Amino acid sequence: MIKKVLVANRGEIAVRIIRACREMGIETVAVYSQADEEALHTQLADEAICIGPASSSESYLNMEQIISATLVSGADAIHPGFGFLSENSKFVELCEKCNITFIGPSSEVIQKMGNKAQARSTMIEAGVPVIPGSKEAVRDVSHGAEIAEEIGYPVMIKAALGGGGKGMRVAETRETFAASFQTAQKEAQMAFGDGTMYLERFVRNPRHIEFQILADCYGNVIHLGERDCSIQRNHQKMIEESPSVVIDEELRSRMGQAAVQAAKAAGYTNAGTIEFLLERDGQFYFMEMNTRIQVEHPVTEWVTGIDLIQEQIRIASGLPLSYRQEDIKLSGHAIECRINAENPDKNFRPSPGTITDLYLPGGKGVRIDTAIYSGYTVPAYYDSMLAKLIVHADTREQAISKMRTALGEVIIEGIDTNIDYQYEIMNHPDYQSGKIDIEFISKWQR
Amino acid sequence: MKLKNMFKKTGGKNYISLTEGRKPEVPEGLLRKCNNCKAAIIAEDVRRGYYICPKCHAYFRMDAWRRIETIVDPGSFEVWEEAILDGNPMGYPGYEEKLQNVREKTGLDEAVVIGKAEIEGRKVVLGVCDGRFLMASMGEAVGEKIAGAVERATKEKLPVILFACSGGARMQEGIFSLMQMAKTAAALKRHSDAGHLYISVLTDPTTGGVTASFAMLGDLILAEPNALIGFAGPRVIEQTIGQKLPKGFQRAEFLLEHGFIDQIVEREKLRETLGKILKLHPGQPDRTAQTKAEEMQNKKQNEKEEEELCQIREMTSWERVQVSRKKDRPVGSDYIRELFDDFVELHGDRLFGDDKAVVGGIAQFCGEPVTVIAQEKGTTTKENIARNFGMPSPEGYRKALRLMKQAEKFHRPVLCFVDTPGAFCGLEAEERGQGEAIARNIYEMSALKVPILSVIIGEGGSGGALALATADEVWMLENSIYSILSPEGFASILWKDSKRAKEAAEVMRLTAKDLYEAGIVEQVFAEPEAFTSETFAPVTEKLREHIRRFLKTYQGMEESERTERRYQRFRRL
Repeated sequence: MIKKVLVANRGEIAVRIIRACREMGIETVAVYSQADEEALHTQLADEAICIGPASSSESYLNMEQIISATLVSGADAIHPGFGFLSENSKFVELCEKCNITFIGPSSEVIQKMGNKAQARSTMIEAGVPVIPGSKEAVRDVSHGAEIAEEIGYPVMIKAALGGGGKGMRVAETRETFAASFQTAQKEAQMAFGDGTMYLERFVRNPRHIEFQILADCYGNVIHLGERDCSIQRNHQKMIEESPSVVIDEELRSRMGQAAVQAAKAAGYTNAGTIEFLLERDGQFYFMEMNTRIQVEHPVTEWVTGIDLIQEQIRIASGLPLSYRQEDIKLSGHAIECRINAENPDKNFRPSPGTITDLYLPGGKGVRIDTAIYSGYTVPAYYDSMLAKLIVHADTREQAISKMRTALGEVIIEGIDTNIDYQYEIMNHPDYQSGKIDIEFISKWQR
Repeated sequence: MKLKNMFKKTGGKNYISLTEGRKPEVPEGLLRKCNNCKAAIIAEDVRRGYYICPKCHAYFRMDAWRRIETIVDPGSFEVWEEAILDGNPMGYPGYEEKLQNVREKTGLDEAVVIGKAEIEGRKVVLGVCDGRFLMASMGEAVGEKIAGAVERATKEKLPVILFACSGGARMQEGIFSLMQMAKTAAALKRHSDAGHLYISVLTDPTTGGVTASFAMLGDLILAEPNALIGFAGPRVIEQTIGQKLPKGFQRAEFLLEHGFIDQIVEREKLRETLGKILKLHPGQPDRTAQTKAEEMQNKKQNEKEEEELCQIREMTSWERVQVSRKKDRPVGSDYIRELFDDFVELHGDRLFGDDKAVVGGIAQFCGEPVTVIAQEKGTTTKENIARNFGMPSPEGYRKALRLMKQAEKFHRPVLCFVDTPGAFCGLEAEERGQGEAIARNIYEMSALKVPILSVIIGEGGSGGALALATADEVWMLENSIYSILSPEGFASILWKDSKRAKEAAEVMRLTAKDLYEAGIVEQVFAEPEAFTSETFAPVTEKLREHIRRFLKTYQGMEESERTERRYQRFRRL
């Protein structure tokens, strides 16, 4: 069993991991940057080691320093949290070479799933549905039109070197394909100096549905149901919930099975997440695999009753899964809102600074994961997430009601937050009736 | 609220580890330390990353084999293993054993690896010093290997690239070591006289007798950033003069500023840069195939085009003077960017400094290598100051002349873009011989064996302009000017009143039209009304076409005919 864990992260997830370890009697080592000397994770851990200046690249991304800190402190494992080095296969490889237990999958799996093309082909081989698309690059219209026919309309035309929506067009029908293709290609040529295009099926207004999986080193893989993360702004998730209103027992078991298959095909161990796009008609496509713990893991913890961080540590220690698939029952409904230090009125500009006054709600079915305290100064160097407010109730209606109540109580003075923005979403009729998709925020903003 | 020591810690029982074999530890060779920033770094990153510290970007020294790996086309290196002179000419005690030891340790026979290779598909003779071997000092064997390789390159008509890094002469070999400086330099002289290219690449450290021989003799001298390059080592100098040396003394950047190297090239870009330079030196020009295709095209073009003498707008001379000085007028570097490909800027006069008021280098013009030299004013105020508002110092003219002589050696035409208010008028310029520098350029250009074309793109200020305009043909843009002096200076000398500049401009005959009519210039190119780097494409298009024709005509001439015409061009005036 792991005896001492170095937590290679900061903020609420570092605190979350330290707490899980403490409950298991495992010692903890925090690492911190010069900007985080006063941070909660630094103070809470049994030991803390400064690993460099404020900028992430010199501290929380500094692999050599973190490895050295691990050896110096005598820790035998590293928990990477999310972000930073959590999906860096090179870092994981270093850990492997140094006999440090990395609490997560192997470097090989991370590498494989991090490469879009390789992940896609792995899924196709495992029979997991992927968004139909052109396998090879497309350079001229007539060739493109043939492929579009195979894929089926509407078709998304994308520049191979694309980014930021440039060189991207949707062709609704075969009549408009040629025009759309040419515009997209011209745009790509202008923007990236290359007119190589790819085609894929355009998925209209899908939901973002992801499945939590757990896999041990003995080939056992289970899924813990879904999370609906459709409320996103610029691809950043804002609200997550479990279960999803559009998923019934039958679909859950089909998607869950696909997720388990995907994890098995990848040779996965530890906790991971398979992200799908779900169309209105119930058709779903593999998007990508996250090879780490997720920000939104608490909603799954609440509906399943499983402590995911502790389970991660057990798996990494070489223990078999504590649960079988049939043990997993989703009970009630959980919702998580991310509270960020940002100003929604000023295009969500980050708002670092000192928290002068703080009151956080509590009570039955209310959980707050955070690393802030009264007098804490939010540094400008890192992610702006301050806290995760998670609620749990028997039904979705009750959960929404509880979330509204809790959001209404939060007081964070001294910096701007998105609490009021989240509160408004909770009051939105479409959100309340569960009519949501990944365009929800952008439609609402308009 | 302060949180320090407020929380209860994990109830710790200390276990004795039962899995002793799997204790975390860093395996041998996984990490190494950067001597510059002292950070621990992953050895593999250093190996894969050109031996540059991924944290502070300091350069590690590279051994010869690793260097060759990063420079040549994969698998193209063919090592030349000549019999090594294995003497101890001075009978220095213990020298043989020392050599034996180093040989065993490094696997090298001597301090330089020599061979033939391809870089971006072009054959070269390559020599790379290896600092692990007695600090790559030059004794008989090193001298012999280098001289032999250069001789063989001359015979096989191949360019030579030498990567220098050396502590200097090999002390244990005494006077015999000194003689290697002469031996290598002499071999390079023959190689150069045969018309071949030698590129010297200076790496950290290049000192002593190596600096004072083959390292500093390149047609082109490149250096790695921050490399120590000097004749006497800094410690010796400090002891001799009893003073502390300034920071950056004898570093590559210092040498660049002082005019001794052409370019500092980052290690990642060395191979690409060498490839580009080699491409610009194709050896004996193979004109036949190319010329035929061009001739056809030319014929067509000639038939089509009628000599449209400039549709010049009506303006007073003084107005044109003002237009020629406008801030947003395209400058030398704009023309270089627009008209040429693969421009490789070469710096320095090899004597004193690098003048930023003159930009020069080699480039492709319509697929053919040319030497380009432009007076450069810069576009922003900061740049204006750095480039001294386009007023060259003697170093600028000497750099230009060096590049023209180089063009002559490699049979490249010379294209000059003139834009200067005049040569820099200042104390330092006089100290270093401004007049001599201008005179020397005019003198040498008058008989340079390759075609020279000068285009006046802005101000053609007096001798400062002529030093780049003693050419086969001189062309002007519609609103450029060319004169003995600025109208302000003219008015002040003749009428003792510089305020009468406007009047002076009218009598000086300094506009393109005046000069065309006087037979001082051959062609004038019309400008659009608002002439800026955004609107000058039609002008450069036309220039390109005419330059192409100029080159065709003048390269078609016999060398003697060309220089005779140039002679007569000025003789008749």
